[in-house]
Amino acid sequence: MRRFVFPRAAAAGVAMLLLVPLAAVGSYFQHLLVMWMLFALMAVSLNIIVGYLGELSFGHAAFFGLGAYTSGMLTVFGGVPFWLCLIAAPLVSGAFGLAIGYASLRIKGPQFAILTLGFGAILHSVFLNWVDFTNGPLGITKISPPRIPLLGLEISGGIPYYYLVLFFLLVSAYLCRSLMRSRTGRAFIAVRENDMLATSLGIDVFRYKLLGFVAATMMVGVAGCLYAHYLKVITPGLFTLHYMAPMVIMVIIGGKGTVTGPIVGSLVYVALLEVLRASGSMRMLVFAVLLTLSVIFLPGGLVSLLPFWRGQRGGARQHD
Amino acid sequence: MTEPLLQVNGLTRVFGGLVAADAVDFSVLDGEVVGLIGPNGAGKTTVFNMIAGSLAPTSGSLRFRGEDYVGTPAHRMAQRGIARTFQITSLFPTLSVLDNVKLGTHRHKKTGWWGATVFSAAYRREEQEVDDKANAVLGFLGLSDKGARIAQNLAYGDQRRLEIAIALAAEPVLLLLDEPAAGMNPDEARRLTETIGRIRDTGVSVLLVEHHMRVVMGICDRIIVLNQGNKIAEGTPAVVANDPTVVSVYLGRGATGA
Repeated sequence: MRRFVFPRAAAAGVAMLLLVPLAAVGSYFQHLLVMWMLFALMAVSLNIIVGYLGELSFGHAAFFGLGAYTSGMLTVFGGVPFWLCLIAAPLVSGAFGLAIGYASLRIKGPQFAILTLGFGAILHSVFLNWVDFTNGPLGITKISPPRIPLLGLEISGGIPYYYLVLFFLLVSAYLCRSLMRSRTGRAFIAVRENDMLATSLGIDVFRYKLLGFVAATMMVGVAGCLYAHYLKVITPGLFTLHYMAPMVIMVIIGGKGTVTGPIVGSLVYVALLEVLRASGSMRMLVFAVLLTLSVIFLPGGLVSLLPFWRGQRGGARQHD
Repeated sequence: MTEPLLQVNGLTRVFGGLVAADAVDFSVLDGEVVGLIGPNGAGKTTVFNMIAGSLAPTSGSLRFRGEDYVGTPAHRMAQRGIARTFQITSLFPTLSVLDNVKLGTHRHKKTGWWGATVFSAAYRREEQEVDDKANAVLGFLGLSDKGARIAQNLAYGDQRRLEIAIALAAEPVLLLLDEPAAGMNPDEARRLTETIGRIRDTGVSVLLVEHHMRVVMGICDRIIVLNQGNKIAEGTPAVVANDPTVVSVYLGRGATGA
């Protein structure tokens, strides 16, 4: 019988994530850590579509925006408590994910990517122009920080918020890991690798794609909610390529199809964004070059370097 | 049960003005190896794809285990016990050989994402069964020592055997093989013939589309010959090989009189 194995490397990684804030002096550095966590959550969710299902979605930022707006509007217009927003945001994102996925997932490859780009643009237009409902380009402001129900404590500021987002990141990472060890995850990979053969083995390709797509959109809905309550201000810009492009960069540079890749990729992105801040708009050029180099020379992303570093342990996994 | 495992009646497929399959009738019985042969363009693959459920017939009926299944999606037919291989090698190229075969077991298992998340007893039992089944199938096809290899790095003959391994891991009732001997050397072809025989011995029926005459003649219980979409002959290998119509189709018109 199988035993539950928690790999040492994963344990070390979790410990590192738990301890990092101790070294974070200054609120700005803490802010960067929170942004890393938020981006990591977004990247981990996009990876389900890009890495596991093997489809490219340019609409993922729109589902992020939907989660953020659901949460922001409920809080500001409705006075709904944070924890309810945290439930509502993934439900709304997931419902849109279900509808859009149902309409587009029978199409694959570049056509699917273009379709999702279109759906994202539609959602962006709606949130930008339906001023009575969404406040239009001014966005939603003064979103209150999360409050712990009974204690009345506010979770605001860097370190507590870091741990809040980290919790959801670890849950998501664990879900991705268990997915990859399950029959469901095997079916995802089969769909990515060879959908005709997958079909011939009784795998309902459309159903599995829809499942992955909805799961990813729900996950990014949570990220949107956490983002809205952290930054307190959201605008329709969340729906656009300004957020979409970084997510793709993080997943590809970090390593698509792995659990840790997107987390590493988002760290690289947030760090480089700061290091290159002085160079202004040249930053995007640097990212473009990095993305290109990564695709050409390191198609498995940064985490694909890990087996070399760990020596022969990268070889065949032994079962109990 | 008196009805054959697979019953094909009046199966027709028209592509534009071309009749690729014209009212083809035949059946496959339990535990039988049936060959489907014919020259290029005879409609073998069209018939094969309709039986597998991946191509809708223009008209005609298909019955599997007594149930009509025209219009049923391919993945559902796979779930009911029809496994197939493809004419052009079709694997999960970047996965290990073992993981390729594990995917074959999909239809027999139930636990999924949630079971793995909570590490349920059912999940652990099923994963163990999946491992055991995959290893058993690799052993059956002589691929045991290659389980950790990446599928796309295997030699051609091994890749073709892996395709059969994936299909067998699905524990089919009916196995459809689309030109499994294509590109094989005589040695590999002989081994394939022997493998198909062992598959039949486990009680699985096989429908074989093949060009390689030695394989077809060596293993089939019955052969169906197609030409230009029509069935022109059916019978045991000996009968078919001596049928004047078949001989003329294969050797050219003039050969009949010779």
